[in-house]
Amino acid sequence: MRHQWYPVGIAAKLPDSPAESLLLGERVHIGRAKGGGPQVTDAKGRALPVLTRFGHVWTTLGTPERDLFTIPEADQPGRRLVDVGTVRVRCSPLRAVENFLDIAHFPFVHTDILGAEPHTEVERYEVEIREDSDEVWATKVRFFQPQAAKSAGGGITTDYMYRVPAPTCSILYKTSPPRPGEWDVITLFVQPMTEELCQVWPWMALFDDASTMTDMIHFQQMIFVQDRSILENQIPAKLPLDPGLEIPTRADMTSIAYRRWLKRHGYTYGAQLVAA
Amino acid sequence: MTTTWTAAALSQDVPAGTAAPGRLGDRDLAIWRSASGKIAAWADRCPHRGMRLSHGFVRGEALSCIYHGWRYGQTGQCIKIPAHPGLEPPDAIRVPAFAVAEASGVIWVADGAPATAPPAFEGFTGFRSLQVDAPASVVAEALGGKGDAIRAALGPTPAVALIQPLGPDRSGLHLLAPLSAAPEALDALSVAAEDLRRRAEAGQKGRAA
Repeated sequence: MRHQWYPVGIAAKLPDSPAESLLLGERVHIGRAKGGGPQVTDAKGRALPVLTRFGHVWTTLGTPERDLFTIPEADQPGRRLVDVGTVRVRCSPLRAVENFLDIAHFPFVHTDILGAEPHTEVERYEVEIREDSDEVWATKVRFFQPQAAKSAGGGITTDYMYRVPAPTCSILYKTSPPRPGEWDVITLFVQPMTEELCQVWPWMALFDDASTMTDMIHFQQMIFVQDRSILENQIPAKLPLDPGLEIPTRADMTSIAYRRWLKRHGYTYGAQLVAA
Repeated sequence: MTTTWTAAALSQDVPAGTAAPGRLGDRDLAIWRSASGKIAAWADRCPHRGMRLSHGFVRGEALSCIYHGWRYGQTGQCIKIPAHPGLEPPDAIRVPAFAVAEASGVIWVADGAPATAPPAFEGFTGFRSLQVDAPASVVAEALGGKGDAIRAALGPTPAVALIQPLGPDRSGLHLLAPLSAAPEALDALSVAAEDLRRRAEAGQKGRAA
Protein backbone atom coordinates (compact mmCIF):
# COMPACT_ATOMS: atom_id res chain seq x y z
CA MET A 1 0.00 0.00 0.00
CA ARG A 2 3.10 2.21 0.05
CA HIS A 3 2.84 2.58 -3.72
CA GLN A 4 -0.66 4.08 -3.70
CA TRP A 5 -1.76 7.71 -3.95
CA TYR A 6 -3.42 9.12 -0.82
CA PRO A 7 -5.35 12.34 -0.15
CA VAL A 8 -3.70 14.69 2.34
CA GLY A 9 -5.51 18.00 1.95
CA ILE A 10 -7.93 20.23 0.07
CA ALA A 11 -6.17 21.95 -2.83
CA ALA A 12 -8.03 25.24 -2.31
CA LYS A 13 -7.26 25.34 1.40
CA LEU A 14 -3.57 24.60 1.74
CA PRO A 15 -2.04 26.03 4.91
CA ASP A 16 0.41 28.93 4.64
CA SER A 17 2.92 27.21 6.88
CA PRO A 18 3.39 23.45 6.49
CA ALA A 19 0.96 21.36 8.56
CA GLU A 20 2.13 18.12 10.11
CA SER A 21 0.22 14.94 9.47
CA LEU A 22 0.70 11.19 9.31
CA LEU A 23 0.65 8.87 6.32
CA LEU A 24 0.99 5.11 6.88
CA GLY A 25 2.52 5.88 10.27
CA GLU A 26 5.15 8.25 8.84
CA ARG A 27 5.34 11.95 9.52
CA VAL A 28 4.61 14.20 6.54
CA HIS A 29 4.22 17.98 6.13
CA ILE A 30 1.65 19.49 3.80
CA GLY A 31 2.07 23.07 2.58
CA ARG A 32 2.83 25.23 -0.44
CA ALA A 33 5.83 25.26 -2.70
CA LYS A 34 7.47 28.55 -3.69
CA GLY A 35 5.25 28.90 -6.73
CA GLY A 36 2.12 28.46 -4.58
CA GLY A 37 1.35 24.88 -5.62
CA PRO A 38 1.06 22.02 -3.16
CA GLN A 39 4.16 20.58 -1.55
CA VAL A 40 4.37 17.48 0.65
CA THR A 41 7.58 16.49 2.39
CA ASP A 42 8.50 13.35 4.30
CA ALA A 43 10.09 13.10 7.76
CA LYS A 44 13.53 13.75 6.28
CA GLY A 45 12.34 16.89 4.48
CA ARG A 46 12.40 15.32 1.03
CA ALA A 47 9.70 16.40 -1.41
CA LEU A 48 7.22 13.62 -2.18
CA PRO A 49 5.38 13.27 -5.49
CA VAL A 50 2.15 15.29 -5.52
CA LEU A 51 -0.83 15.67 -7.78
CA THR A 52 -4.06 17.59 -7.55
CA ARG A 53 -7.30 15.90 -8.53
CA PHE A 54 -10.94 15.94 -7.36
CA GLY A 55 -10.23 19.08 -5.32
CA HIS A 56 -7.63 17.29 -3.21
CA VAL A 57 -3.87 17.06 -2.98
CA TRP A 58 -2.58 13.50 -3.30
CA THR A 59 0.81 12.11 -2.44
CA THR A 60 2.62 8.80 -2.10
CA LEU A 61 5.50 7.39 -0.06
CA GLY A 62 6.40 4.96 -2.83
CA THR A 63 6.42 4.77 -6.61
CA PRO A 64 2.89 4.13 -7.91
CA GLU A 65 2.69 1.79 -10.88
CA ARG A 66 -0.17 3.72 -12.40
CA ASP A 67 -1.81 7.11 -12.42
CA LEU A 68 -4.45 7.94 -9.84
CA PHE A 69 -7.89 6.74 -10.98
CA THR A 70 -10.27 9.08 -12.80
CA ILE A 71 -13.98 9.79 -12.38
CA PRO A 72 -15.20 10.68 -15.88
CA GLU A 73 -18.76 11.45 -14.70
CA ALA A 74 -17.47 14.24 -12.47
CA ASP A 75 -16.37 16.19 -15.57
CA GLN A 76 -19.96 16.46 -16.85
CA PRO A 77 -21.08 20.09 -17.12
CA GLY A 78 -23.67 21.31 -14.65
CA ARG A 79 -22.26 19.57 -11.61
CA ARG A 80 -21.33 21.38 -8.45
CA LEU A 81 -18.07 20.19 -6.95
CA VAL A 82 -18.10 20.12 -3.17
CA ASP A 83 -15.02 19.93 -0.94
CA VAL A 84 -16.78 18.60 2.14
CA GLY A 85 -13.86 19.02 4.54
CA THR A 86 -12.44 16.38 6.76
CA VAL A 87 -13.38 14.15 9.66
CA ARG A 88 -10.76 12.37 11.73
CA VAL A 89 -11.87 8.91 12.81
CA ARG A 90 -10.18 6.62 15.32
CA CYS A 91 -10.63 3.51 13.19
CA SER A 92 -8.92 1.44 10.53
CA PRO A 93 -8.90 3.18 7.12
CA LEU A 94 -10.27 -0.05 5.66
CA ARG A 95 -13.20 -0.12 8.13
CA ALA A 96 -14.03 3.45 7.05
CA VAL A 97 -14.22 2.36 3.40
CA GLU A 98 -16.20 -0.77 4.20
CA ASN A 99 -18.79 1.27 6.11
CA PHE A 100 -19.13 3.56 3.09
CA LEU A 101 -19.93 0.50 0.93
CA ASP A 102 -22.71 -0.61 3.29
CA ILE A 103 -26.36 0.26 2.82
CA ALA A 104 -27.97 -2.03 5.42
CA HIS A 105 -27.02 0.39 8.23
CA PHE A 106 -28.93 3.36 6.78
CA PRO A 107 -32.20 2.87 8.75
CA PHE A 108 -30.34 2.47 12.06
CA VAL A 109 -27.42 4.90 11.84
CA HIS A 110 -28.85 7.55 9.49
CA THR A 111 -32.42 7.18 10.74
CA ASP A 112 -35.07 9.11 8.76
CA ILE A 113 -32.40 10.47 6.39
CA LEU A 114 -30.79 7.69 4.36
CA GLY A 115 -33.14 4.99 5.64
CA ALA A 116 -36.04 4.26 7.97
CA GLU A 117 -37.79 1.25 9.40
CA PRO A 118 -39.71 -0.72 8.21
CA HIS A 119 -37.85 -0.22 4.88
CA THR A 120 -34.83 -2.28 5.94
CA GLU A 121 -34.66 -4.95 3.27
CA VAL A 122 -31.60 -5.09 1.03
CA GLU A 123 -32.54 -6.64 -2.28
CA ARG A 124 -30.11 -8.77 -4.22
CA TYR A 125 -27.60 -6.72 -6.18
CA GLU A 126 -24.59 -7.49 -8.34
CA VAL A 127 -20.96 -7.44 -7.29
CA GLU A 128 -17.85 -8.10 -9.33
CA ILE A 129 -14.13 -7.57 -9.30
CA ARG A 130 -13.48 -6.11 -12.76
CA GLU A 131 -10.32 -7.71 -14.01
CA ASP A 132 -9.54 -5.10 -16.70
CA SER A 133 -9.59 -2.13 -14.34
CA ASP A 134 -8.84 -4.11 -11.17
CA GLU A 135 -11.71 -2.43 -9.32
CA VAL A 136 -14.51 -3.68 -7.08
CA TRP A 137 -17.96 -2.75 -8.40
CA ALA A 138 -21.44 -3.18 -6.95
CA THR A 139 -24.35 -2.39 -9.25
CA LYS A 140 -28.16 -2.55 -9.26
CA VAL A 141 -28.27 -1.58 -5.60
CA ARG A 142 -31.65 -0.13 -4.60
CA PHE A 143 -32.80 1.28 -1.30
CA PHE A 144 -35.72 3.33 -0.01
CA GLN A 145 -34.60 6.65 1.44
CA PRO A 146 -36.67 9.24 3.35
CA GLN A 147 -34.24 12.03 2.41
CA ALA A 148 -31.64 10.78 -0.05
CA ALA A 149 -29.86 14.13 -0.38
CA LYS A 150 -30.20 17.76 0.62
CA SER A 151 -32.01 18.22 -2.71
CA ALA A 152 -34.58 15.44 -2.09
CA GLY A 153 -38.12 16.61 -1.34
CA GLY A 154 -39.38 13.36 0.16
CA GLY A 155 -38.88 9.61 0.25
CA ILE A 156 -37.61 7.94 -2.92
CA THR A 157 -36.18 4.58 -3.90
CA THR A 158 -32.59 5.39 -4.73
CA ASP A 159 -30.39 3.47 -7.16
CA TYR A 160 -26.78 3.07 -6.20
CA MET A 161 -23.51 1.90 -7.72
CA TYR A 162 -20.33 1.52 -5.73
CA ARG A 163 -16.80 1.48 -7.03
CA VAL A 164 -13.52 0.78 -5.20
CA PRO A 165 -10.61 1.87 -7.42
CA ALA A 166 -7.96 1.98 -4.66
CA PRO A 167 -7.69 0.32 -1.24
CA THR A 168 -8.72 3.42 0.74
CA CYS A 169 -10.94 5.15 -1.82
CA SER A 170 -14.52 4.56 -2.80
CA ILE A 171 -16.95 6.28 -5.13
CA LEU A 172 -20.68 5.96 -4.99
CA TYR A 173 -23.04 6.88 -7.76
CA LYS A 174 -26.62 7.48 -6.67
CA THR A 175 -29.82 8.73 -8.27
CA SER A 176 -29.75 12.51 -8.42
CA PRO A 177 -33.07 13.63 -6.86
CA PRO A 178 -33.52 16.68 -9.16
CA ARG A 179 -32.29 14.76 -12.26
CA PRO A 180 -33.44 11.13 -11.89
CA GLY A 181 -31.69 10.09 -15.14
CA GLU A 182 -28.27 11.12 -13.85
CA TRP A 183 -25.94 9.93 -11.11
CA ASP A 184 -24.73 12.11 -8.29
CA VAL A 185 -21.12 11.29 -7.43
CA ILE A 186 -20.10 11.05 -3.78
CA THR A 187 -16.64 9.88 -2.86
CA LEU A 188 -14.85 8.81 0.26
CA PHE A 189 -11.11 9.39 0.06
CA VAL A 190 -9.34 8.08 3.14
CA GLN A 191 -5.89 9.11 4.34
CA PRO A 192 -4.49 6.21 6.39
CA MET A 193 -2.65 7.91 9.27
CA THR A 194 -2.00 4.71 11.20
CA GLU A 195 -3.60 1.27 11.06
CA GLU A 196 -6.22 2.48 13.55
CA LEU A 197 -6.51 6.19 12.75
CA CYS A 198 -7.59 7.91 9.57
CA GLN A 199 -8.57 11.20 8.07
CA VAL A 200 -11.65 11.00 5.85
CA TRP A 201 -11.93 13.45 2.93
CA PRO A 202 -15.36 13.21 1.27
CA TRP A 203 -15.85 14.96 -2.05
CA MET A 204 -18.99 15.33 -4.16
CA ALA A 205 -19.97 16.22 -7.72
CA LEU A 206 -23.72 16.84 -7.58
CA PHE A 207 -26.59 18.08 -9.67
CA ASP A 208 -28.15 20.49 -7.19
CA ASP A 209 -28.96 24.08 -8.13
CA ALA A 210 -31.10 24.82 -5.11
CA SER A 211 -29.01 24.08 -2.01
CA THR A 212 -26.28 26.37 -0.77
CA MET A 213 -22.74 25.04 -0.60
CA THR A 214 -22.92 25.28 3.19
CA ASP A 215 -26.12 23.20 3.27
CA MET A 216 -24.60 20.48 1.11
CA ILE A 217 -21.45 20.37 3.24
CA HIS A 218 -23.42 20.25 6.50
CA PHE A 219 -25.63 17.46 5.20
CA GLN A 220 -22.67 15.28 4.29
CA GLN A 221 -20.74 16.09 7.47
CA MET A 222 -23.77 15.13 9.57
CA ILE A 223 -23.83 11.75 7.80
CA PHE A 224 -20.13 11.13 8.47
CA VAL A 225 -20.35 12.13 12.11
CA GLN A 226 -23.13 9.54 12.51
CA ASP A 227 -20.87 6.95 10.88
CA ARG A 228 -18.03 7.86 13.23
CA SER A 229 -20.03 6.75 16.27
CA ILE A 230 -20.05 3.28 14.71
CA LEU A 231 -16.51 3.19 13.35
CA GLU A 232 -14.90 4.05 16.67
CA ASN A 233 -16.73 1.22 18.44
CA GLN A 234 -16.05 -1.85 16.31
CA ILE A 235 -14.05 -4.72 17.78
CA PRO A 236 -11.40 -5.48 16.65
CA ALA A 237 -10.38 -2.02 15.46
CA LYS A 238 -8.69 -3.54 12.40
CA LEU A 239 -10.70 -5.04 9.55
CA PRO A 240 -10.70 -8.85 9.75
CA LEU A 241 -9.81 -10.22 6.31
CA ASP A 242 -10.10 -13.90 7.13
CA PRO A 243 -13.56 -15.41 7.52
CA GLY A 244 -14.64 -16.62 10.93
CA LEU A 245 -14.40 -13.61 13.19
CA GLU A 246 -17.38 -11.85 11.62
CA ILE A 247 -20.53 -13.25 10.02
CA PRO A 248 -21.70 -11.63 6.77
CA THR A 249 -25.03 -12.07 4.98
CA ARG A 250 -26.13 -11.52 1.40
CA ALA A 251 -26.48 -7.78 2.01
CA ASP A 252 -22.72 -7.72 2.66
CA MET A 253 -21.67 -8.94 -0.79
CA THR A 254 -19.79 -5.70 -1.51
CA SER A 255 -17.93 -5.97 1.78
CA ILE A 256 -17.07 -9.61 1.05
CA ALA A 257 -15.67 -8.72 -2.39
CA TYR A 258 -13.76 -5.75 -0.96
CA ARG A 259 -12.14 -7.92 1.72
CA ARG A 260 -11.27 -10.60 -0.85
CA TRP A 261 -9.76 -7.99 -3.18
CA LEU A 262 -7.71 -6.44 -0.33
CA LYS A 263 -6.38 -9.84 0.64
CA ARG A 264 -5.57 -10.85 -2.91
CA HIS A 265 -3.44 -7.72 -3.37
CA GLY A 266 -1.87 -7.80 0.08
CA TYR A 267 -3.54 -4.47 0.96
CA THR A 268 -3.36 -5.24 4.66
CA TYR A 269 -2.47 -1.91 6.31
CA GLY A 270 -5.36 -1.61 8.80
CA ALA A 271 -6.35 -5.25 8.38
CA GLN A 272 -6.28 -8.14 10.81
CA LEU A 273 -5.23 -11.52 9.54
CA VAL A 274 -5.60 -14.73 11.50
CA ALA A 275 -2.28 -15.57 13.13
CA ALA A 276 -0.52 -18.27 11.13
CA MET B 1 -12.00 -19.07 34.30
CA THR B 2 -13.87 -16.95 36.84
CA THR B 3 -16.56 -19.02 38.49
CA THR B 4 -17.07 -16.54 41.29
CA TRP B 5 -19.42 -13.57 41.06
CA THR B 6 -18.11 -10.13 40.12
CA ALA B 7 -20.05 -6.97 40.97
CA ALA B 8 -20.34 -5.27 37.57
CA ALA B 9 -22.96 -2.55 38.00
CA LEU B 10 -25.83 -1.37 40.14
CA SER B 11 -29.38 -2.42 39.25
CA GLN B 12 -30.58 1.20 39.29
CA ASP B 13 -28.02 2.12 36.60
CA VAL B 14 -29.51 -0.30 34.07
CA PRO B 15 -33.22 0.53 34.03
CA ALA B 16 -35.72 -1.45 31.94
CA GLY B 17 -35.29 -0.89 28.22
CA THR B 18 -31.63 0.14 28.34
CA ALA B 19 -28.15 -1.26 27.68
CA ALA B 20 -24.88 -0.28 29.34
CA PRO B 21 -21.20 -1.25 29.06
CA GLY B 22 -19.59 -3.39 31.77
CA ARG B 23 -16.52 -5.51 32.41
CA LEU B 24 -15.77 -9.04 33.57
CA GLY B 25 -12.04 -9.53 34.01
CA ASP B 26 -10.50 -8.35 30.76
CA ARG B 27 -13.69 -8.79 28.76
CA ASP B 28 -16.12 -6.06 27.72
CA LEU B 29 -19.77 -6.70 28.48
CA ALA B 30 -23.08 -5.39 27.27
CA ILE B 31 -25.43 -5.42 30.26
CA TRP B 32 -29.05 -4.82 29.35
CA ARG B 33 -32.54 -5.05 30.80
CA SER B 34 -35.63 -5.98 28.82
CA ALA B 35 -38.90 -4.08 28.92
CA SER B 36 -40.28 -6.62 31.42
CA GLY B 37 -37.19 -6.23 33.64
CA LYS B 38 -35.04 -9.27 32.77
CA ILE B 39 -31.33 -8.60 33.11
CA ALA B 40 -28.66 -10.08 30.79
CA ALA B 41 -24.87 -9.80 30.42
CA TRP B 42 -23.31 -10.58 27.04
CA ALA B 43 -20.04 -10.20 25.19
CA ASP B 44 -20.03 -6.59 24.00
CA ARG B 45 -19.68 -7.41 20.32
CA CYS B 46 -22.15 -8.08 17.54
CA PRO B 47 -21.00 -11.18 15.62
CA HIS B 48 -21.89 -9.50 12.31
CA ARG B 49 -19.50 -6.54 12.09
CA GLY B 50 -18.03 -6.29 15.60
CA MET B 51 -20.07 -3.30 16.80
CA ARG B 52 -20.39 -2.87 20.56
CA LEU B 53 -23.83 -4.14 21.62
CA SER B 54 -23.77 -1.84 24.66
CA HIS B 55 -24.56 0.94 22.14
CA GLY B 56 -27.62 -1.04 21.03
CA PHE B 57 -31.30 -0.49 21.67
CA VAL B 58 -33.84 -2.54 23.58
CA ARG B 59 -37.28 -3.28 22.21
CA GLY B 60 -39.48 -5.55 24.26
CA GLU B 61 -37.49 -8.63 25.29
CA ALA B 62 -34.71 -8.26 22.70
CA LEU B 63 -31.51 -6.26 22.25
CA SER B 64 -30.69 -4.89 18.79
CA CYS B 65 -27.32 -3.82 17.46
CA ILE B 66 -27.26 -0.11 16.58
CA TYR B 67 -25.28 -0.73 13.36
CA HIS B 68 -27.59 -2.94 11.28
CA GLY B 69 -30.38 -3.66 13.73
CA TRP B 70 -29.61 -7.38 14.16
CA ARG B 71 -31.91 -8.47 16.97
CA TYR B 72 -30.97 -10.92 19.73
CA GLY B 73 -33.30 -12.69 22.17
CA GLN B 74 -32.70 -13.42 25.85
CA THR B 75 -30.32 -16.35 25.26
CA GLY B 76 -28.13 -14.35 22.86
CA GLN B 77 -29.57 -16.09 19.79
CA CYS B 78 -30.02 -13.86 16.73
CA ILE B 79 -33.72 -13.70 15.95
CA LYS B 80 -33.89 -11.09 13.19
CA ILE B 81 -31.72 -9.63 10.44
CA PRO B 82 -33.58 -6.55 9.15
CA ALA B 83 -31.76 -6.54 5.79
CA HIS B 84 -33.38 -9.93 5.12
CA PRO B 85 -36.79 -9.87 6.82
CA GLY B 86 -37.81 -13.25 5.40
CA LEU B 87 -34.70 -15.07 6.57
CA GLU B 88 -34.64 -17.14 9.74
CA PRO B 89 -31.19 -16.40 11.24
CA PRO B 90 -28.96 -19.50 11.50
CA ASP B 91 -28.41 -20.96 15.00
CA ALA B 92 -24.69 -20.19 14.69
CA ILE B 93 -25.36 -16.45 15.02
CA ARG B 94 -25.32 -16.13 18.79
CA VAL B 95 -23.75 -13.69 21.24
CA PRO B 96 -21.92 -15.36 24.16
CA ALA B 97 -23.92 -14.83 27.35
CA PHE B 98 -22.58 -14.75 30.90
CA ALA B 99 -24.24 -15.76 34.16
CA VAL B 100 -25.97 -12.81 35.78
CA ALA B 101 -27.86 -12.34 39.05
CA GLU B 102 -29.10 -9.44 41.13
CA ALA B 103 -28.98 -9.07 44.90
CA SER B 104 -29.14 -6.01 47.16
CA GLY B 105 -29.41 -3.76 44.09
CA VAL B 106 -26.17 -5.07 42.58
CA ILE B 107 -25.76 -6.76 39.19
CA TRP B 108 -23.37 -9.69 39.55
CA VAL B 109 -21.80 -11.47 36.59
CA ALA B 110 -19.75 -14.63 36.21
CA ASP B 111 -18.13 -16.76 33.53
CA GLY B 112 -19.55 -20.22 34.05
CA ALA B 113 -22.03 -21.26 36.72
CA PRO B 114 -21.02 -20.27 40.27
CA ALA B 115 -22.00 -22.85 42.89
CA THR B 116 -23.66 -20.29 45.14
CA ALA B 117 -25.89 -17.26 44.79
CA PRO B 118 -24.17 -13.87 44.91
CA PRO B 119 -23.91 -12.32 48.37
CA ALA B 120 -26.83 -10.34 49.73
CA PHE B 121 -26.29 -7.50 52.21
CA GLU B 122 -29.28 -7.35 54.49
CA GLY B 123 -30.59 -3.84 54.96
CA PHE B 124 -28.43 -2.36 52.18
CA THR B 125 -29.04 -1.50 48.56
CA GLY B 126 -27.02 -0.20 45.60
CA PHE B 127 -26.39 3.53 45.91
CA ARG B 128 -23.66 4.73 43.57
CA SER B 129 -20.85 3.43 41.33
CA LEU B 130 -17.57 5.27 40.79
CA GLN B 131 -14.50 4.54 38.73
CA VAL B 132 -11.16 5.02 40.46
CA ASP B 133 -7.78 5.36 38.73
CA ALA B 134 -6.05 3.06 41.19
CA PRO B 135 -5.75 -0.72 41.55
CA ALA B 136 -8.26 -2.61 43.70
CA SER B 137 -5.73 -3.18 46.49
CA VAL B 138 -5.12 0.58 46.86
CA VAL B 139 -8.86 1.28 46.96
CA ALA B 140 -9.30 -1.41 49.62
CA GLU B 141 -6.49 0.09 51.66
CA ALA B 142 -8.03 3.58 51.44
CA LEU B 143 -11.23 2.02 52.82
CA GLY B 144 -9.20 0.53 55.66
CA GLY B 145 -9.95 -3.04 54.64
CA LYS B 146 -9.00 -5.99 52.47
CA GLY B 147 -10.66 -8.01 49.75
CA ASP B 148 -13.41 -7.06 47.32
CA ALA B 149 -16.34 -6.54 49.73
CA ILE B 150 -15.65 -4.16 52.61
CA ARG B 151 -17.97 -2.83 55.26
CA ALA B 152 -16.85 0.65 56.15
CA ALA B 153 -18.22 3.89 57.56
CA LEU B 154 -17.82 6.58 54.92
CA GLY B 155 -18.27 9.83 56.78
CA PRO B 156 -21.15 9.32 59.19
CA THR B 157 -22.84 6.66 57.06
CA PRO B 158 -22.23 2.91 57.21
CA ALA B 159 -21.74 1.45 53.75
CA VAL B 160 -20.76 -1.70 51.86
CA ALA B 161 -18.05 -1.16 49.25
CA LEU B 162 -17.69 -3.69 46.42
CA ILE B 163 -14.44 -3.29 44.53
CA GLN B 164 -14.15 -4.47 40.94
CA PRO B 165 -10.69 -4.68 39.32
CA LEU B 166 -10.78 -2.97 35.89
CA GLY B 167 -7.19 -3.52 34.81
CA PRO B 168 -3.87 -2.85 36.54
CA ASP B 169 -4.56 0.79 37.45
CA ARG B 170 -8.31 1.10 37.50
CA SER B 171 -11.15 -0.11 39.70
CA GLY B 172 -14.89 0.08 39.92
CA LEU B 173 -16.27 1.01 43.32
CA HIS B 174 -19.89 -0.01 43.84
CA LEU B 175 -21.31 1.46 47.04
CA LEU B 176 -24.31 0.14 48.95
CA ALA B 177 -26.08 2.34 51.46
CA PRO B 178 -28.53 1.49 54.27
CA LEU B 179 -32.11 1.19 53.00
CA SER B 180 -33.15 3.46 55.85
CA ALA B 181 -30.58 6.21 55.10
CA ALA B 182 -32.01 9.74 55.00
CA PRO B 183 -31.25 11.96 51.97
CA GLU B 184 -28.71 13.98 53.99
CA ALA B 185 -26.88 10.80 54.98
CA LEU B 186 -26.74 9.76 51.29
CA ASP B 187 -25.39 13.18 50.31
CA ALA B 188 -22.70 12.81 52.98
CA LEU B 189 -21.89 9.32 51.67
CA SER B 190 -21.47 10.69 48.15
CA VAL B 191 -19.07 13.40 49.35
CA ALA B 192 -17.10 10.87 51.40
CA ALA B 193 -16.89 8.50 48.42
CA GLU B 194 -15.45 11.23 46.19
CA ASP B 195 -12.95 12.07 48.92
CA LEU B 196 -12.00 8.41 49.12
CA ARG B 197 -11.45 8.35 45.36
CA ARG B 198 -9.17 11.39 45.57
CA ARG B 199 -7.15 9.79 48.36
CA ALA B 200 -6.80 6.48 46.52
CA GLU B 201 -5.75 8.20 43.28
CA ALA B 202 -3.28 10.48 45.13
CA GLY B 203 -1.85 7.47 46.96
CA GLN B 204 -1.47 5.65 43.66
CA LYS B 205 0.35 8.61 42.08
CA GLY B 206 2.64 8.78 45.15
CA ARG B 207 3.52 5.12 44.68
CA ALA B 208 4.15 5.48 40.97
CA ALA B 209 6.44 8.52 41.46
